[in-house]
Parts: sequence; structure tokens; C-alpha cells
Amino acid sequence: MTTVEIGQALKRSEDFRLLTGKGKYVDDISLDGEARAVILRSPHAHARIVEIDRAAAAALDGVHLIVTGQDWLAEGFGPIPTRSAVNKNKDGSPLSEPPRHCLAIDRVRYVGEAVALIVADSEKIARDALELIDVTYEELPAVTDPRKALADGAPRIWDDIPNNLCVDFELGDEAATKAAFEAADHVISLDVENNRVTGVPIEPRGLVGTYDAETDTYLLYNSTQNVHAIRKTIAEDIFKISADKIHHIAPDVGGGFGAKNSVYPEPALVLYAAKQLQRPVKWIAERSESFLADTHGRNQSSKVQLALDSDGTFRALRTDTVGDIGAYCWTIGPFTPTGGSARTQGGPYAFETMYYSSRAVFTNTMPMDPYRGAGRPEGTYQIERIVEAAASQLGLDPVALRRKNLIPAEKLPMKSPMGLDIDSGNFPEVFERTLALSDRDGYSERVAASKAAGRARGFAIAPYLECTGGGPKEFAGIQFAADGTITLSVGSQGTGTGHETAMPQILSAKLGLPVEKIRYRQGDTDATPLGGGHGGSRCLEVGGGAVVRATEAVIDKAKAIAAHLLNSQADDISFADGQFSDAKTNQSTPMEEVVRASFETGRLPQDMEPGCLDSDAIFERGIISCPNGCHAAEVEVDPETGAVAVANYWIVDDFGTIINPLLADGQVMGGVAQGIGQALYEDAVYDEDTGQLLAGSLMDYALPRADLIPNMVIRYYEDAPTAKNPLGVKGAGEAGCCPAPPVIVNAILNALKPYGVTDLSMPVTSEKVWQAIHDAKP
Amino acid sequence: MPTISLTVNGQPVTEEVDAPTLLVKFLREQLKLTGTHVGCDTSQCGACVVHVNGEAVKSCTMLAVQADGAEILTIESLANNGTLHPMQQAFHDKHALQCGFCTPGMVMASIALVRDNPDPSEDDVRQGLEGNLCRCTGYQNIVQAVRAGAKNMRD
Ligand code: FES
Ligand code: FES
Repeated sequence: MTTVEIGQALKRSEDFRLLTGKGKYVDDISLDGEARAVILRSPHAHARIVEIDRAAAAALDGVHLIVTGQDWLAEGFGPIPTRSAVNKNKDGSPLSEPPRHCLAIDRVRYVGEAVALIVADSEKIARDALELIDVTYEELPAVTDPRKALADGAPRIWDDIPNNLCVDFELGDEAATKAAFEAADHVISLDVENNRVTGVPIEPRGLVGTYDAETDTYLLYNSTQNVHAIRKTIAEDIFKISADKIHHIAPDVGGGFGAKNSVYPEPALVLYAAKQLQRPVKWIAERSESFLADTHGRNQSSKVQLALDSDGTFRALRTDTVGDIGAYCWTIGPFTPTGGSARTQGGPYAFETMYYSSRAVFTNTMPMDPYRGAGRPEGTYQIERIVEAAASQLGLDPVALRRKNLIPAEKLPMKSPMGLDIDSGNFPEVFERTLALSDRDGYSERVAASKAAGRARGFAIAPYLECTGGGPKEFAGIQFAADGTITLSVGSQGTGTGHETAMPQILSAKLGLPVEKIRYRQGDTDATPLGGGHGGSRCLEVGGGAVVRATEAVIDKAKAIAAHLLNSQADDISFADGQFSDAKTNQSTPMEEVVRASFETGRLPQDMEPGCLDSDAIFERGIISCPNGCHAAEVEVDPETGAVAVANYWIVDDFGTIINPLLADGQVMGGVAQGIGQALYEDAVYDEDTGQLLAGSLMDYALPRADLIPNMVIRYYEDAPTAKNPLGVKGAGEAGCCPAPPVIVNAILNALKPYGVTDLSMPVTSEKVWQAIHDAKP
Repeated sequence: MPTISLTVNGQPVTEEVDAPTLLVKFLREQLKLTGTHVGCDTSQCGACVVHVNGEAVKSCTMLAVQADGAEILTIESLANNGTLHPMQQAFHDKHALQCGFCTPGMVMASIALVRDNPDPSEDDVRQGLEGNLCRCTGYQNIVQAVRAGAKNMRD
């Protein structure tokens, strides 16, 4: 038997399946009699739908169903509501939430918006039919830039929403911040652009839906991050039926990064078609469709101001952001540029006061929803860019300036001026460890070597502070079987993140039971009575917390059985290392023996029944955790071509307790790679005049390749676990995305200082670098 | 409909195919070998890589009829009675997969890479895997795995 420890680099149990081609992703599921669905999407950024002529398509052999927005409305289906936690304007009035139906009703508002559903015997027939649908559009003026959308006279995306403003927001003390700015010796201002990107999980979204007329229930296989919440919305808000009518399963999910956390229109369309046709219906997105119709993220324009004293002490921070949310309020779209970006303003630096204001704005683009980090990467980018700018403008050493202003360890726990509860950590220590790791002594030699090769080398360091999010409550259930297998069911969900390994690891460590006997269930509304799915780096924090609570419930019951077996009193029994012992009698029995006894009536206390060890628990976090750390990087820039290469990357992260360093490393590396992707390559850019998505395929949207991502040196600071959850974990999934963009951009600016380049915007392409070098030349 | 005869994972196969069927669709939908994945529609991602007559090929770039007479190997052919191929084992050991969607293509591409270059440097691997995208891992562990897998294959 193998019991494992917390902190062990346990290799993954899901690997065998995934490495041998036996993984089950949605597209691998085919059901007898399955029909194929495709979606007709809008070719226009903004247009009135004058007429939809479907006669030729409907006449095609093998076409069974064509549904338009008007058909949908006639069925009485409801719109998909937003669940943004920020739902009021500054003046207390509700945010502007236009109705979001599964199909466009009489107007399309972005390229790629779903206009009609076509279901046929095969994908080929469905696509042929799609070509035959003749939609007459009357084009309307469109706006894709959120700043322009706010202006008076801009095209109105919603007739009843002036200035395309969804919601305005503020946090912090405006008056105190203003006073601090007036009293400060220096004020540094910087316009910071955070470009639009998208998740691009390599598995596109996909669905298989069935309907059973006898029980009037649906079954939905969905490549999603969140089965419970999405089911609730589809059932209660769209179909107006009770949630238990839909069994929602996420099989193996090929990555998510937020892009599979939304309530999309397609699941309800597929279920509706399955009911209409009384046969299974499958829909699989094509990659180009994913670019158009998967949610996008970031796209914030911010005016950032830093007030500081002549000795470099930070006094106050003020940020005003215009945040794009696309054409609709998507699942929690308005939250990201408002509350989601406000919480971690200022990072790990000490500020007397801060003020954050923002506006979430509609544009004629694919709507936004959380993308890995959702607001925290934007906040980190803002503070790190302005700190670097302050150092540069005031002639201060950027390392010394950061060191001077980090929150000292003895100030924790504290509340930040944004109300963030920072309970644990040691920011100065993590900063110094990162510096030590990054071999500053060898830097000048590396600079000289780069120079000899005709390249400019630059260095930057970026301490960061972020926070967890997502649903605060999670369920875990442990079921024992007489044959020794244990089923662990958790309502959080992995999308490649190794939960099938990490959660059983926790159970095995806590109960001293063999890890290979544990079966893991997730992503299934039948497996757990509730579940918050995947998002906000929440899974170990609340899902792992629930597993711990459930193991505690098992131990409580098992103690009574152990006492019975050992002829002791339950109060005299202690549990450690998988053994129940009575110190008085010096007798002990292992957990496995107690589990066996729990199935034998004769070995149980009178008041206990066979199978009595099964235990459930719900853990609800009180306060979100604060993952933090510090990253440093060196880049090499070729001034002739503008090409940038990331030469070195060093990391010290504080995620509290590390459950499995192998999996933690994987999260860090993947997050940093996405951050580098945004910094250097990725850009989900729309044409301003036509509103067409220019980056609509993997030929136009530059996903980082193996030769573009550096090796990373990763260390963990584990001396400050949080007390906010039973495991002391802080969340690891999104952290890498926070410091990576600013550390890369700042390192490039550092390299280009001799050339007089002071500002660059993401993605920092070779063309932009080349141009900046040439523009800066006197 | 044309009929094609080929060898897939050592088994002779004769099937009728619709002429425009891509090899990847043929493998996945007709032969139910769903380990080979489709991640894009522009031949960029490499999730669909299989071996055609010993060469790594993106199976979305080839028609099934073009594989008439060919020997095809897919990810399903590698493990032997529950024992992983040395490259699969290295991917497991180095945590070189997360969601696993890119993995079959990565592994097939890596085996072909190592066959051409039995002891690849880090750069060789990074360049050699240019045609395979992974969104989860940041590639570092994949690169380590390919080098470790190369060593396993040499030994
Ligand atoms: S499916 Fe992407 S390259 Fe073949
Ligand atoms: S492991 Fe998910 S794309 Fe590579």
C-alpha cells in the first residue's frame, strides 16, 4: 500500500489515460443516431437583421432543424443573466444589463454572434445548409474601442444605454488620496494599456446533448469548467425548468483558462435541438469559431498615478480605468474591470491611501469574461509599470525603490486601502530571495556577452500580490466500498490541473489510506450536490478544504469503531500516521482495519451501521487568500530587428503550503507562459473600421511556441501558510499570469534605455520595438 | 466512394471513404481511434500528429485516400500491455502534460524527432516541436521529457 504525504511530488494518476489516447474529451463521445449542429454567426460587427430566408437550407436533404432568434423568443425562453458581483453604479442605480438571448433577435452586435442554429444528419450537410441561409442585414455604425464608445455621439450599441456605459465603479478614499497627491513631492503619471487576449485552450469547446422524453430529462456532455452553475442558469433562467432536469457532465476537459467558465448560448441550443429531434445532438467548435465566440479577456486602458516623496516613499496610488466588456454583459463580464481589478491595486507595496475608479463599457466585440487572473494581472501590470516609470523618471534604482516600499512582514496581518485582507506572507524576504536567485553578480558579464553579440540585455523584477476568487463554498464526499476502494467526489473541477492526483493525495495523507485505491469524481452534477467548478485559483483552497473537513468527519466516526475494536473509550483514542492508538493500553489499529470493520456488523459498536464511515463536508471560506511572490527576468533585444528573447526567468512564489510541487510547478510554468504570450505575442485585435476580428485563427493569433518560452527557475516560500483554509494554501493557478507581463515589458524597457525608449505597449512585437528605437533616435 | 487499404497500428484496414475525408477524421470517426485530436483548422496546433510510413504528419493536412497503402501509427499503438513507450513514460515522469489534449500529437512528434536525432539538445527539441502547440505546460517539462525520453529510447 502507498500512503502519500502532503508536499510530495506525486506523479499524476490521470496521465496513463491521457498518454495512451484513452482520454475522453467531448468530441470523443459519439452516441447512436447523433445529429450535428452548427451555428450561423454574424459577419457584421453591428447590423439590423432585416430578414432570414431559410427555405433553401431547410429543403436540403438531411437538414432537420433551423432555429432563429425569433423562433427562440417564440418558445418563451429567457435571457442569460449576468452574475457580476458588482451590479450597481456608484450612485446605487443598477448596472445596465441588456437582454442576452442564445440567438440574436433583431440585431447583431459583434462579429461571430450566433444568428441561427442548424441541425442535420452530418456536419457536412449542416455546413452546406448554413451556406444556403440568406440573411439580409442592414449595417449599422460600429465601435470597437471602449474609449471611443464612451464618447458622446458614438454609435449606440443598445438604444437605451447612453454612452455605452454598463456600470461605473469606485473603491478607496478619493478625498484622502487627493490630499496625499497634493502633499507629495512627486507625481508620476502613466497611461497603461492592457491588450485584449483570449484563452485558446487547445481543445475547442464542444457539446453532446440528449433528451429523454420518458423522464423529461436532459443529459449534457460539455467541455466546461463549471457544471453546477451553468446548469442552473440553463435550466432556471433559459428553459424555466428545475435544475435537476439536466444532468451535466464535464468529461476530460482540454484546458479552460476561464474561457470555459461562461454560460454560452450553445449548450441550451444543443439541448433544445435534442428535445425537438428526439435524438442526440453534437456541436464542436472549429478553432476559427473559438476565436470569434470564446470569451476574450483584459482590454483595459488605465490612467495610473503614483504619488511619492523625494526619498522615494510611496504615498498614494490613483487609477482610472476604462474596461471593455464587449457587446453584452457576459457571465461575470462587468466584474473584471471593476471589483476584480480593484482588490489587489497597489500590489505588495505599502500605501497610505488609494483610489480606484473604472467604467465597464460596451463595444461591438466578442464579450469579455474572466481570463486567467481576471483583473489581478491588470492590477499587477499597472503598478509595476508605474513603479518602473517612477524609478526611471526620478533617476532611482528600480530594485531599491521596490525594496523600500514593500509592506514589511511585521505589518501583517493588515487590510489594504482596497479592503484586501492580507494575513500572511513576507514580501521583503520573497523579494530578496528572488534577487539572490537571479544571480545579480553575473549580470554585468551577461550584459557584456549580449553586447558583444550585438544585442541589448535588460533586467526587471516584479513582486506581486493577488487573490483568489470564484465560489466560496465547496463540497467533498468520501465513500468507502467493501472491497477497499474509496470514492472521493469533489465539486471543484480540474481542466488539466491535476486534481485527480492532488485531491486523493490529500485524502491519503490525512487518513493513511492507499492512494491507488482512491477513485476520483468531479465535473458531474450527479457526483456532488453542489460545486463551484474551476476558477479563481479556488480548487485547493475550498475544494481541498472540503476534502480535509470530510476526512475529519471520517476520523471522528472511525475513532468510535477503533475504540470498540481495542476495547477502549473513544476519548482515549488518538489518530496519527494512519493508526488509531490508545496510549493507556498501548494498543493500536490501522485505518484500513477500521475501514474493513466498518462493513462487518459484528465488529461495529451497536449504534453504528455497516457503511457508516461515508462522510460529506462542505467548506466555505470566510475570506479570500492572497497568493504572492516575486518574478525576475532578463531579456535580450536585437536592435537591428527588434526581436526580443527571454533569456532568464526566476520565480519565488508564496502559495502557502505546497500540496504537490510537481503540479504547482506546472501551474506556474503554464501561467508564466501565458503572461509572456500576452507581453510579446498575443493580441485579439479587431479592425477599428469594420469591427472584424483580425486575429481570427492560429495563423493570426500568435500562441507562444516551444522555442519562445524560456526555462524557469522556481522556488516556493512556504513559511507563511494562511489560516484562512484548513490546508494553509493560497491558490496557484493564476499567479504566473500576474507578474510575467510587467516583468517582461520592464526588462525590455530596461534594455532599451540607452536607446531612449521609455514606453512600449503589449504585445511588444519586434516591429514595435524596431519602430520605438527609430522613433526615439534624435 | 473510393475504397482504401492501409495498415493502422499494425492491423490491416480496408474501408470505403468519402473522398474529401481528412485522415484525422477517418481515424477518429471511422476507426474510432479518438486518441488523435483536432485542435485547429489551419494546421497549426499539431494535436493531430500521427506517423505515416514512419514520418510525423499532421493528419489534418492529408486526405484519407492519400493514405491508401500507407502504414499509420497513432498514439494508441505505443503502450504495450500496460507498459508505456519510453517517450510516454518520460512525459509522465516529467509532468509534461496537463490537460492532455496536445499530448498525443506531442508524443508522436517527439518520437519522430528523436528517431532523426537520438540525442537532441534543448534547442533541438524546442525548434523541433515548433509545430506543436501546448497551452498548459509552458513547454519546459515537455522539453525535459523529450530529452529524457530520447535517453530512454537509446538505452
Ligand atoms: S488539428 Fe491542428 S494541426 Fe492538425
Ligand atoms: S497539456 Fe493542455 S495543451 Fe498541452
